[in-house]
Order: sequence, then structure tokens, then C-alpha cells
Amino acid sequence: MPFPTPSSPSESDPLATRYPLPATSLGLDPFLAALLADQQTLQTPVTRAATAHALQPSAWRAERFRELIPLTAPAPGQQYAFEVDLDACSGCKACVSGCHSLNGLDEEETWRDVGLVYGLSALAAPLADKIINHKSQIINQTVTTACHHCADPACLNGCPVLAYEKDPVTGIVRHLDDQCIGCSYCVLKCPYDVPKYNARLGIVRKCDLCHGRLAAGEAPACAQACPTQAIKIVHVTPSAPTPYDTVIRLPADPAYTQPTTRYVSKKTLPAQLHAADADTLRPQPAHLALVILLVGTQLALGLMFAASLPAPSSPLLAPVAAALYFTALAASVAHLGQPLRAWRIFLGLRRSWLSREAVLLGAAAPFVALTALLPFLPYVGSSLAKTAPSLSSLSNLIGHWSLVIGHSALGLTTLGVACSALIYIDTRRHFWRPANTFTRMGGTVLVAALAFLSAPAAALVLGLKLFAEYHFLRASPVSARLHAGPLRKTSRARLALGLAAVVLFALQQPWFGFLLFAAGELVERVLYFRAVDTPKMPGQAA
Amino acid sequence: MLAIDPTLLALHARTGPMTSELVRVPAAHGLGLPQVPARLAPASTVSSVCGFCATGCSLQVHLAPDGQALNLAADPAYPVNLGMACPKGWEALTPLAAPDRATVPLLRDSAKIINHKSLIQNNPSPLQPTDWPTAAATFAARFKAIQAAHGPHSIACLSTGQIPTEEMAFLGAFFKFGMGALHLDSNTRQCMATAATAYKQSFGFDAPPYTYADFEHSDCLVFVGSNPAIAHPIMWQRVMMNKNAPRIIVLDPRRTETAAAATDHVSLRPKSDLWLLYAIAHVLLAEDRINRPFIENHTTGFAEFAAFLVAYSPERAAPECGIPADEIRRLARLIADAKAASFWWTMGVNQGHESTRTAQALINLALITGGIGRPGTGANSITGQCNAMGSRLFANATSLLGGRDFKNPAHREHVARLLEIPAERIPTENSWAYDQIIDGIESGAIKGLWVVATNPAHSWIDSSRFARVRRKLEFLVVQDMYSTTDTARLADLVLPAAGWGEKTGFFINSERRLGRIAKVARPPGQALSDFAIFQLLARAWGCAELFRAWTSPEAVFQILKKLSAGQPCDITGIRDHAHLAEKGGIQWPYPASPGMPNDQCPMPNSAAGTVSDHSSLDIGHSSFRAAEPAQERRLFADGKFFTANQRAVILFDAPRPLPEPPCADYPFLLNTGRGSSAQWHTGTRTDKSDVLRKLAPRSLIVEIHPADAARLGIADASPVSIRSRRGEARATAVLTATVQPGQLFAPMHFEAVNRLTYPAFDPHSRQPSYKACAVRISAATDLNQNSSG
Repeated sequence: MPFPTPSSPSESDPLATRYPLPATSLGLDPFLAALLADQQTLQTPVTRAATAHALQPSAWRAERFRELIPLTAPAPGQQYAFEVDLDACSGCKACVSGCHSLNGLDEEETWRDVGLVYGLSALAAPLADKIINHKSQIINQTVTTACHHCADPACLNGCPVLAYEKDPVTGIVRHLDDQCIGCSYCVLKCPYDVPKYNARLGIVRKCDLCHGRLAAGEAPACAQACPTQAIKIVHVTPSAPTPYDTVIRLPADPAYTQPTTRYVSKKTLPAQLHAADADTLRPQPAHLALVILLVGTQLALGLMFAASLPAPSSPLLAPVAAALYFTALAASVAHLGQPLRAWRIFLGLRRSWLSREAVLLGAAAPFVALTALLPFLPYVGSSLAKTAPSLSSLSNLIGHWSLVIGHSALGLTTLGVACSALIYIDTRRHFWRPANTFTRMGGTVLVAALAFLSAPAAALVLGLKLFAEYHFLRASPVSARLHAGPLRKTSRARLALGLAAVVLFALQQPWFGFLLFAAGELVERVLYFRAVDTPKMPGQAA
Repeated sequence: MLAIDPTLLALHARTGPMTSELVRVPAAHGLGLPQVPARLAPASTVSSVCGFCATGCSLQVHLAPDGQALNLAADPAYPVNLGMACPKGWEALTPLAAPDRATVPLLRDSAKIINHKSLIQNNPSPLQPTDWPTAAATFAARFKAIQAAHGPHSIACLSTGQIPTEEMAFLGAFFKFGMGALHLDSNTRQCMATAATAYKQSFGFDAPPYTYADFEHSDCLVFVGSNPAIAHPIMWQRVMMNKNAPRIIVLDPRRTETAAAATDHVSLRPKSDLWLLYAIAHVLLAEDRINRPFIENHTTGFAEFAAFLVAYSPERAAPECGIPADEIRRLARLIADAKAASFWWTMGVNQGHESTRTAQALINLALITGGIGRPGTGANSITGQCNAMGSRLFANATSLLGGRDFKNPAHREHVARLLEIPAERIPTENSWAYDQIIDGIESGAIKGLWVVATNPAHSWIDSSRFARVRRKLEFLVVQDMYSTTDTARLADLVLPAAGWGEKTGFFINSERRLGRIAKVARPPGQALSDFAIFQLLARAWGCAELFRAWTSPEAVFQILKKLSAGQPCDITGIRDHAHLAEKGGIQWPYPASPGMPNDQCPMPNSAAGTVSDHSSLDIGHSSFRAAEPAQERRLFADGKFFTANQRAVILFDAPRPLPEPPCADYPFLLNTGRGSSAQWHTGTRTDKSDVLRKLAPRSLIVEIHPADAARLGIADASPVSIRSRRGEARATAVLTATVQPGQLFAPMHFEAVNRLTYPAFDPHSRQPSYKACAVRISAATDLNQNSSG
């Protein structure tokens, strides 16, 4: 580990500052004073004498590294990859610590993980008796995992600012720490739970296969730290069919990102393996800023739609929509770890739905603001005509283009909201599948619009939406268990708020209904984030 | 505010401050250090033996120019770990920086008063910061008052296997010779007492015979109750380096990581080892696969053993062990067929109600096959704590300094002469063992307790009893790195100690290798090394004069050399701490010989003249005849043991039933043990590392067979309640067929586990049997597992 080094002992520890050395004890007892002084003295001369001994074995390292890394750069069409010998991996986890220490990661940051898989038979109760008599069938296999340096990396494809690069020679998927805006989308995109958000820096970091070590003929930290040489670096041809999934069942279809890590074993592992942490419930972060972004833009879109129809029920609809919209945009910026870098968000337009969403919602913003002004334009225009004729012409101009402005706001926001949905659908997480995502997000838009057109219709649609939310849970067992377990209270709150809104809408109370509906949608979206299934490589139990 | 960073404006910022944080640079020395980020580049390095387990790996600590540790890596030059370390070793510096370090002495106001009513009322005043003079004076005044009222033996000390040998010796000498107390035991009672007792009885001295190279040389390794793959990963490394395509036989009720990697896993019934080992011996005898010349020349007790074994046929043992008789025969033949069979055991053997005889059953197998003293052989105990071996020789607890006998007047005289103290200062009787000390507290015989670097409130078997009996103590002193351990929270006086990395000294590892630890960090506040604390307390007690020569760990090292002279553990040939560092650690014995420079051949070619008056060491071992002793040495190459007649003793007893077998009310047998390579004992240190916490379960888990779970309606990863006759623990169920039906396994690192365990003890070693108690288990509805604490 990198040791947090204080410059002086008293600064190192708040307790020491709080309880300073009593002057009397130092003054009265030279023996104690000498002991304390000696305790704070580091014996540098002695350590230097020992240094010569410690630094001898460079030859040893070089020899060992030759067994762990290829001697040449990958040929065209090939790339570097981890090869894990499952028969050698004993689950000691030195690779995780070695990576952490030699790469100087933050105290809580790890780029590698070691998990455990059981043979499926180990879990099937009716087979238990057979297992007793066929003990060799009990599979208890440890698995070490880091970044798979995929041939078609989902992280790279989703990044809105091109903060990931795949090295054309080595194939290493590198993260550009100074390019990253800290949106964490790659964390959602990677089906192997590889990129890790670093709160101190406001960016994501991940394994870079120790590319600098490899270039200098040194083995990656994990490989050099493995006592049983279970981790090696090899050349692989990513396009060739891999034996990957036949050894360790992956949490995602390998065809999706084409992970390159090779797991090898002389044993025949059963087709179905069960990760030790497969049943461990892991409620995910609520991402409150994203909840506000999504619900805010979707409510705004619904209200804008209601406001755009002839004879809207209230002149306040468009201003409320704009207020919601800009609150949502502010939240989206607040979500970023590095908002000052966010100007690069357009860079990913070619591949990233997040990039597209940001550009579209940003482009819609001025139109949404102007739309909010439209209902007041007649009053503003007449007063401006008296006081500031030059501005009056501008006001007239806006009035003249009101239809275009309104349609632009609606159109761009609709596209932006659709991109929002696709951001999550594109993660391929089961709970975020298109039906569920579109129903939830589209439902928010629709109910918001109907609330001020026909409150009973809004009640009906919201009722259907509530039903659909629970219906979709049935096919998502992990999300369902999260709803029934750790998210029980949130789930109940969502239902209560939703049903209350249904009642109020049914009672023709659009504004009160809308308030409760909006609150319910916020809670619904919290559940959407917190209850999502998160594919990952096998971990440890509990 | 925003000094425009050019990287902020670049369209594609491939470099910048955040990128630079992780850019690794080659070491300035160009001498083979791994690359590290520039901010961690060391000015120099120093090697220091790890302070967790008894593997004794050397860590290469990276230092800043002022000698302060920056980082560390495994030491490639050390013969033990060959450039490797387990996660605990990699994280060894992290616990030093924990925010809950004890920085000043802490004292309860109520403890200043001789009347202890406030504590008995279970309403103690809070621990308050105080200064060292007050702490030391209170220590002396309170313990002296207790001794005056209740006799000198009414205070006891529970020590540790985690501090350097010099400190252990100082503690033992101060407590017994200085304070005039008697009852001193250490937490090594919980892990190694059985191995020590078994060796002492069988070999005449507590002398694990092996060296780690034996892992590589053996062609049949039998691991009994041992899971080195995660408990001793760096020893497992040596097994994996074995080029003989060895048979790896694992005797363990659980399919552990080691069992999964073995060639043969024997999942016997818990605590049926003795039956199985006797049946294997029976087969070896019956099929005449024993080494009769070795038995005749080097052992005693074989005839009785042979007669005893008649009753232990495989057919008789099979139902006891849950193993088919033919399987037992097959195992015996695998052992017999091996060129170099070796037997390795850890806590699965040591922690049992008949553990000493079980360890000796393994020793007996090695003896009757002649499998001892040759490369790749031996009956080898894998030790637990980093300095359990130092404790066994020099803690002055069970044996008098240097592996001697308190009851032997000649030994007392000799030690008194060497230490220049009056012989009357040395107790003439043996200390109570750990469990007897706890009993003594309960009965009122012990009124004051000093706990040094251990955590009995968590680790002692049936742990809730410790908290109960604590109320009977008039004065409890805890000396530890942290003021937050389960035990420190109960203390009247907390003495803040420096930890590993903040002081010097030596440890002895499993293969008898002395290794040096280095001082590479400053402890927080006024924390002092245990050594300095003992110096301070000796002055406060008024017996500093006895320890005038004990001025530093280096000085005590020279004293320990004198104490070892002529004993099997003779280390007189080792110059000093620096010598240990230069040689990559040195295994005992390493006797000096007259006229030879200390760092050259410690042994002459002839044995003549080197056996001192009271030696039981035969120095005819071939490994000592080399001009330079080999870096890896084993004992008993000549078949001569440390007993009076130089013969090993074959010891055996009939197996006894489980003290607390499962029954209708408590139908499961609970096994406990090491849960992961990232956790150490009660977690007072390893829990301070975020990385290590990530690598271990967050809270208590319990492994249960899927068939049992299905029957009881327990789902994977769901909360359960485990109850024994002594307490309850909440845990998360892990469904796995790696445990047998009817059995449960829970890692020992969580405090709740020892509320369940049953206090049974081996009669010879008095080691607790942590691995077999009767419990019941049920699904729990409460999702909040922490509420049950």
C-alpha cells in the first residue's frame, strides 16, 4: 500500500494534537523523555546498511518476468491479454493487493478482484446425496479478474468524451484520466464491473494492464505478485473464437464486448457454475442527480406538450415545464465529477447515446426557455412597445416564430428524452430492457401531458404504469428481490405516492395530482437505479 | 479561481495532472525494484519480516529519505517468500495509520480508587487520557495492592504471539522475576500449544523439524486440518513449485481451497482424525510397510503402539470417520509408496479435544515410516502467529527462558546466573494455562489481569464468558496499538503501544528461522514500543535494577543468545540483528563454536567439544558440517532426538468422543476457522485496511450444505440465526456443498462466532477445541444483521 506519510508525528494524528504531551512528564522524567524521543527516531543508517542486500535480485526478477510476459509486441491482428491458470489460482488475493500497492491506488481503490464459483450441482438440493458420493463433482474454484481489455469495449463505445482509447498495437484499453468528465456511464456499460469511480478525483480509473511495465520488460503488478504464477500476459487474436466461456461462465454474452482474458484449466468444469456472490443483493447507487434529470426532462416534455395544444388549461404549464427542464439540466451537470471538462461532451456523438442526449437536451434548452415566455408575450410586447421599442421588435420576432420555437422545443426534447432511455437500454442490463425503460419514461411523459388535458385519463394511464412497473419485476428476479428486501420501504413509498396521485387525478385535481405524481416518479426512478441487476465477474460470498 | 489548466482546453487530454498521478517510473537505483508512481519512488529500501503469520515473509519496505516508510513490496531476496506476499503482507503498513490508534495512556477515574465497586456495578467511568508517569504509577500501585491483599499470584498476564522475541522475554522476565507473579500465558495457547506439547513429549524439545524446501522435495504431502492455500499462501506457493508431481492428500471435513487443489481430498467426519491416522498406521503395520531399522534404532514405545493398533482396523475406523475402509487402505499405501512423504498440520489438529495425541499420531506415522530428517519428509506443524515460535522458546511462560523447566533447580540456577538475578526470583512452579487463568478470575483467585497485544474478549472460546468474568477483576490493563479492541474497551488502563514497523526485534517463523523486523514508521502520539513500556513499568515497579542490562532489543538479543547456549535452540552463532538481515534470516540451531568467527561456520567438522554441559543437542547433523550452514536446514538427519536416550517417543491414546456432539436440539456441528487470506484473527489490524476489508466478507457468513438449507427453508445469501447452548450469532447463509450435510462453517474473524464455541480443552496442551460445537440454525427474518452485534 502507499503509506499515508505525515510530515511530523503530531500532525499525523488528530488525537496526538488533542492530547499533547504533558510538559511535566517530559520535564520531570528524563528517562521517559529519552524513551519517547527514541521512539520517534527512525534508524536511517541501519536501514541503509541493509539496503544493499535487499536490492540484489534484479536478475531474479528478470528471469521470473520472462515466464510471465511475452518477449515481443503483439503481431498485427493480435493483442495483449491476461491468461489465468485456474488450476494454479488458490484464491490468496495477493494479485489485488500487489496491484493496489505497486500502482499506488487510493486506499479503497482496487482494480482486480478475486471471486469464487461453485459447481451448480453444489446448489441443487436433490443432487446433494449424489454429491456425497462424488465429491470430485463439488467445484470450488477461485477466479481472479481485472479488466478484460475487450476487443469491442463497451466502456469505450459508451464514453461521451472519448476518454477511452484502445491501443492499436497492444490492444490495451486505456482510460484517459484527464479527459474523463466523471459521468460514470462506463461503470454502467461494462458488464464486468471493471471501471471504478474515484470520488477524490471525480473521475473513473481502471486497469491499464501496466502498459508501462510491459514496455520495459516488467510483468504487470498482479502477475508479479502471484505466488503461484497463475496470471500471465499472452498474445491473443480477438477475432478468433475464444474458449473463454467454456471454462468460466461469463456474466455477459462474450460476443457483446469480446473480452480477451483467457481462463485455462486442465480440469473440466461443469457447464453451469454459480458465483458465490450471485445471490448477494447489491442495491445500486440512487444517482439522485440522474433521477432529477430524467424525471425533470420527462415531466417538462409532458407539460410542454399539454401547453402546445390549442387552449391549454393553464398559462403556467410552459413556465413550469421550463423550470423543471432547467432544474433537470442543472442536476445533470451536478452529476459530473469534472463538470468543467464537460464541454467535450459532443465528442462521442458517433457512438454514445449519452453524448447525443446531452447535445440534444442542450440544444433544446433555449427553445424551452422561449416557449415559457410565449404565453406572456402579448403583455410583454405591449409594455415593451411603450418603454423600449427596439426590444419590442425582438418580442414580435419571437411571437412570429412561436410555432417554430414551440415545435423545436418539443421535437428536440422528445429526441433528447428518447436518447435518455437509450442510454440505459444500451447497457444491456435486464431490468433496463426496452419495454421497462420506455414504459417508465414514456409513461412519465404521457401522464404529465394528460394531467392537464384529461385528469381521469391521467389516472388511468398512471394506474397502468404502476401495474406495468410491478409486472416487469416478475421477469427480473434480482430486481424483484431487491424490491422485496432492502428497497422495501422505497418500493412501498412509490406505490403509495402513485396511488394517491391516481386518486387525485380521478378526483379532477390536476395540480395536486401532478405534485404527488411527480414525487412518485422521482421515487420510481430511484428504484429504477437502485434495483438494477449489475452483471459482474464472480465475487466472494457476502 | 480557475487557473486555466491547458489540459482542460485540449480536445483530447492524454496527459495532465491526473494521468501523472499513476504514471509509473523505474526505480532510481535501476536495481530491479518494480516500477511505482513517481510520488512513491523510494530513496532506499529495508527488509523487514512480516508481522502477521508465522510464514515469516520478508517485506521490502520502500523508504523516503528520512527513513519513513512510503510503501512496500514483497522481498525477492528472502528464502522464505521468494518475492511474494499475501494481501496482509502487502497491506502491512496500513493498520499503522488507522485513526483509532491508542496515542496516550487511558485511565478510568474509577480505577484510580482501590475500591472497584463502580466497575462491578457495570457503570464504569469512561477511559480518560492520562500521562505516562500516572499510567505507570497506577499500574504498579494497583497490581501491588492486589498482590498485597490476595498474594503475589493473584495477578495474571495474557500475552501474545505478535511481538518480537526480545519484548516477549522482557515481559516474561519482568512479570515473573520482577513483579513476582506466576500466571503468564499467551494467545499462542489458542494456536500452537498442541504442536509445542506434542513435539516436547515426542522429540524431547519443541522442535519443528522441517524447512520450507521440504514442501518442494516431498512427493506425497499430507495436510491435516490445514488450509495453506489461503491461511499460508506463501507456503502453498512452495507446494505449487514442487516438481515431483506430488500426491497432495488433504484431510479436512470441508472442501477447502487447499482440498480443491489437492489430488486426494478425504472429507472425514470432524474430529475423527485420530481414528483415521491410527487406521492408516494399522494398515502400514499389517502390510509391513514400516521402517523397522529406524523404529528400532531411534524410537521408544513401538511395541506398545503395535499392540494398541490391532484394534484400529480400517473396518473399525471407517464408520467413525465416514470414510470407506478401502479408502483408508488406499491412503496408507499412497503414503507407503512415497519416496518422501511429509505430514503437515495446522489448527484443524491443534484445536481439538484430543489434539496432542492427534499431532502425535502424525509424528508416529513419520517415525514408523522413517520419514523424518530426510528432504521432503517430516511431521511438520505449520505455525500460526508471526512469533509463536519465539514465544515458545523465550516468553518465559510455559517454559523457563530458552525452553527450560521452571521445576528444575539446575535450570533455575543456570538462568539466574546468566541474568545475574537471585535464583529465588524464579518461580518454582508452572504457570496456569489460559483457561485456568480465566477459571481463576471466575473463582476469585485472580484479581488483576494484564493483557498484552491480544484480544481475548473476541478470541477466547465461549467469549461472552470473558466479558462476564471481567467484572470480577479489580484491575484490567490492556496494552495494545488500538484503544478500540473488544478487550481494550473493557480495560481500566490502556497503555498505547507501537506496532510492527515502529520498532525493532526478531521473530521466529514456522521453520525455526529468525528474521529481523525494522523500524520504518513513527507511532502516533506518545505510543511506545512494548519494550519501552516494559522499561518504564520496571522502573515504576522499582525493579529496574534487575533489568539494567536490558537496555534495548539489541542488548536483549545478546542476552537471549546466552540463554540459548547449549539448548537445541542455540543461536549463539548469530552475531546480531544485522546478521539476520544479511543472511536472509537464520534457522535455529546456529551455535557458535570456540575460535570461529561468528559469521562463519558455526560448527566444526567434528562433534567433539561442542556439546556443552547441559546440552541435549547432538551436533552431528550433516547440515552443520558444511563450511557455511545451508540457508534451508532440517533437524534429525541423524535420527537423534532431544530426549535423554536420543530416541523419539511414540505416544498414543484411545480416541475419545466429541465433548459436545450434535443432538436433537442442536443438530449441527459448527466448524470455525480462517475465512480468507485477507483477515487476521480478530481483525484489530486487518479491519483497518479498506483493501483487506474488500477481500473478505463484510459480516459473518455461515456455510451450509444446500440439502440442509433446502430442508430448513434457508435461501442463499439470506439472514440466519445460529444458536448454541452458550449464545447466538446472526449470519448470512452461504449455500455450498463444500461443507458436509449436518455441518456448518463460520470464519473465526467475526466476534459473534466465539459466543457459540464450546470450551473443551486438550488435556495435554490445554488448547481450546474451537472447531466442534453443537448448534442449531434457522432462517432469520431480521435483515439487519448488525443489530445483533
